[in-house]
Amino acid sequence: MTQQNFKRNCLIAATLAAFALPLVVRSATYLHILIILYLYAYMTTTWNLVGGFAGVLPLGHAVFVGIGAYTSTVLWLQYGVTPWIGMLAGGVLAGAVGFLIGKPTLKMRGAYFALSTMAFVEGIRVMVENIDMLGPFNLNGPRGLNIPPLAHGEVNFWAFQFATKEPYYYIILTMLVGVLFLTWAISRSKMGFYLKGGGEEPDAAQALGVNVARYKVMAMVLSSFLTAMAGTFLAQLTLFIYPKSVLTLDLSFELAFIALIGGRGSIAGPIIGALLLRPVTEFSRIYFSSTLPGLHLIILGVVLIVVMLFQPRGLTEPLTNFFNSIARRFDASAREERK
Amino acid sequence: MKRSHLLALAMILCMAFPAMSFAETIVKVGNILPLSGPSASVGQQGKQAREMAIEEINAAGGIKSLGGAKIEMLYADSKSDPNVGVTEAERFINTEKVHVITGAWNSGVTYPSTAVAERYGIPYIVPVSVRDTITERGFKNVFRIAAKDSWWTRDQFTFLKDMQAEFGEELKTVAFVYENGDWGTGFAAQWKKLIEGSGLKVVLDEPYSSSATDLTPLVNKIRRARPDVLLLVSNAADAILLTNTLADYKVSPKVILGSGGGHADPTFLSGCGDNARYIFDIVEWEADVNKPGAKEANEKYRAKYGTNLTGEAVDAYVAMYMLADALERAGSLEPAALRKALAETDLKSGPGMIVTYDAIKFDASGQNENAALSIVQINDLGKGLERITVWPKGARRAGYTPVFPMPKK
Amino acid sequence: MDLVFIAQDCINGVLMGLIYGLVALGLTLIFGVLKVINFAHGSFLMVGMYVAYWAVTLSGLHPYLALVIIVPAMFLFGYWIQNLLIRPIFIAEKNVREPITVIIVTTGLWYVLDNLALLVFGPDYRALAPNPLKGQMLEFGEIFISVPKLYGAIATLATAGGLYLFLQRTRLGRAVRATSLDREAASLMGIGQWKIFNIAFGIGTAVAGISGAVLTPFYNVYPTVGIPFDIKSFVIVVLGGLGSIWGALVGGVIVGLIESVGPNFMASTWTEGIVYALFLLVLFVKPSGLFGQKQDW
Repeated sequence: MTQQNFKRNCLIAATLAAFALPLVVRSATYLHILIILYLYAYMTTTWNLVGGFAGVLPLGHAVFVGIGAYTSTVLWLQYGVTPWIGMLAGGVLAGAVGFLIGKPTLKMRGAYFALSTMAFVEGIRVMVENIDMLGPFNLNGPRGLNIPPLAHGEVNFWAFQFATKEPYYYIILTMLVGVLFLTWAISRSKMGFYLKGGGEEPDAAQALGVNVARYKVMAMVLSSFLTAMAGTFLAQLTLFIYPKSVLTLDLSFELAFIALIGGRGSIAGPIIGALLLRPVTEFSRIYFSSTLPGLHLIILGVVLIVVMLFQPRGLTEPLTNFFNSIARRFDASAREERK
Repeated sequence: MKRSHLLALAMILCMAFPAMSFAETIVKVGNILPLSGPSASVGQQGKQAREMAIEEINAAGGIKSLGGAKIEMLYADSKSDPNVGVTEAERFINTEKVHVITGAWNSGVTYPSTAVAERYGIPYIVPVSVRDTITERGFKNVFRIAAKDSWWTRDQFTFLKDMQAEFGEELKTVAFVYENGDWGTGFAAQWKKLIEGSGLKVVLDEPYSSSATDLTPLVNKIRRARPDVLLLVSNAADAILLTNTLADYKVSPKVILGSGGGHADPTFLSGCGDNARYIFDIVEWEADVNKPGAKEANEKYRAKYGTNLTGEAVDAYVAMYMLADALERAGSLEPAALRKALAETDLKSGPGMIVTYDAIKFDASGQNENAALSIVQINDLGKGLERITVWPKGARRAGYTPVFPMPKK
Repeated sequence: MDLVFIAQDCINGVLMGLIYGLVALGLTLIFGVLKVINFAHGSFLMVGMYVAYWAVTLSGLHPYLALVIIVPAMFLFGYWIQNLLIRPIFIAEKNVREPITVIIVTTGLWYVLDNLALLVFGPDYRALAPNPLKGQMLEFGEIFISVPKLYGAIATLATAGGLYLFLQRTRLGRAVRATSLDREAASLMGIGQWKIFNIAFGIGTAVAGISGAVLTPFYNVYPTVGIPFDIKSFVIVVLGGLGSIWGALVGGVIVGLIESVGPNFMASTWTEGIVYALFLLVLFVKPSGLFGQKQDW
């Protein structure tokens, strides 16, 4: 078995294991925690298209989560349109907003871009909290939208509501695998090279005649579209949305945290970040929040600080090195056999 | 030496084991509350009130029909986030196997977490979360102790009417000022319905952000509108800031009427001092209520946690006794049996029944149909500022005449 | 619209705006020298407010006299934080002028500080017991001026003036400016980069402490009090130009005026949206802000 083969086999095995997991994990609690974990891995992967490859730090991706959640929910509640179509509609709307935001802001550097994306998410939150009706669409202001839960007999695929956790699990896992594949394809495409070049050496890329800005905007539109789809999923999972849950800085920040802990700009980064950070968040809250209020957030803060101080490029790099050393051993043994 | 140790250990194990195998049944109650973030203060009060009640119930022998079963409390921090509320409800039901859930203070967390409990058929007790819609979704497992917002606002208007009649003072104009979250805007929507036929004219209808760093612009707007009545919905920090700023700018309408929440927060009086004097506030319970056990419960709470019981804390406190009563009657931990017992609740007396009304009883939607409200006035009768019940008139503290209208500043 | 009302709102807007400017001053100073945004700035303000609260409550001093305790304490705190947390990032990412990692580390610090305050002091809203400033108002007919805010505005101007003189006239101040313009060249001239960073961070934190002393006489202290000021400060420093002292004050006054005069024409909740819209507009049209230097963006 060569190094390449070993890696590919590992990847296939991991994917198969993820799909088979509900056969072993029967507890709805853990399935739910896994669903949220995949959801964050998905959103961070889409965040990474801009935050990782385009070399800027977006701190307002909750805008797109919110657009996705609100679009599909309004369409479902007011017009009975299935959330599956709402998901696409939300994606298209978010893509358009992403274009409008990205066009002027992606030219900015460093802190300015980060701050302007924050201003967007705050501005849109203020707007939604101040209006009940947006044209014919009832957003219900700060009170948010309740999706009536359907009875056991009525749940079905088109309503995007299920009686058990497994369908949610498979939907988000499929979305995650899909978006990972897409990221992989992009990173190997011309666009991926240009983005990476533009992120690391903007002046050099410009000098070579590459229109980096155009590719960055393209990445932003794609990222917005895909992030909005996660918003629809979140709305259908929680069955309640309001500005303070989907249009927040907290959510926007968390995506950036996961990406940076995992490693920006690498395909595995968001997965590794989510695998490490989500359990820390969930379990420290479960075990400490009632006795020592706030301790779980202190732990989160300390983890962020420590990882950034000792592994500023994220944890993917040391983990990859470790993995590669194992893979190399397989490589060596394979060569041994051939001899 | 070593052997004797082992022997001793074995003996201890032998003695301990039978006791363990006959372990009593334990009733597990999962509680979802905002324990960190901006609502941490109310979350802590709810937790303390629950703890005090459960300690008393367990000390008095637990649930007798279940062989003296003890109640075990589990708490989860919702961080005021609906998504966390759902995760915690799932965990409580599936992993912790709780028999009942209570929570969640924030209506935004109560909506989706009750939906989870409804799906699994686990009873969910809502001590406080006031939005009407919570009990209007046809759920079978949701039981709310607190009054809903249409009742709070209705009683506020009745109070204004009664006071005008009693003191012969005519009120003509009103200003609605409310925090722009789901709670405040929900109240405002009800006020707008009630204004018809009340004889009052709205001169200002103004939402504001609870996290605003400066409320002076808002206060100036109120000052210029010159309302007779100022109706408020505020969270804790903004209630204090608003009251102090109103006093700084000498805004003195004839009536300032709060809606609990921030105005009922234990830190409100210390944060505002004399500026809070004569303000009216609508609450579900007050320490001076004339009900056996109320004074003792409040004294005990204050000795333990340093503040008076608030209306919201009492809802949580009573909820635990109501639950104990239902468990006693159900004699079983089966969700269906427990749900039935909860639905048939008609709790009239016993320790813990310190609420103003006579009985806790749920209507078909799971709303406590007797939940009643009273209105207090903040005043200093020589022993420092206190909250004095003034309405309904039957519950008014003996010998107290409300100051109405507020004296001009 | 009555002109008296507008005058009243303008006065309040300018006073409160200057106080916002004071909060933003620490942020802009740190950015000017280190070229990083300190996301924990609101938490530093919160720490400053707790220090002020306890200093005044325990010693019974006038809030402004308590500054003799607050300023050194906060300076040392900032000095130590930069040395412990920020310096290692600069060492690890030598080639990057504006390491983005700092945003994450300071956000982590924000979580730690806010929740440490929750753990230690509880969620209570604390207000200073009656103090010589609370509720004091100057009245000129219809126009009311809040004395604690007036003091705060004066403290802001004094702090900004003091900082300006420090940076222009003193040897250390010149070293700080030299480092902010070009770290490598400055260290070649024998200016210790880390020491300057520590001092700049310390001064920025001390300014947050002064803001704390200014705010506590009329404001509540609680663990998450920094968050609304945090976001406001970001907007203000960008409006005025990151790194500019006078820009922070002008940015603060603009935000203060929008918040104060705006509600005459709309619900007060909309003014927040206007502030963000203006912020984005400035970013698009003149990204370096009103007073910022071109190179900083």
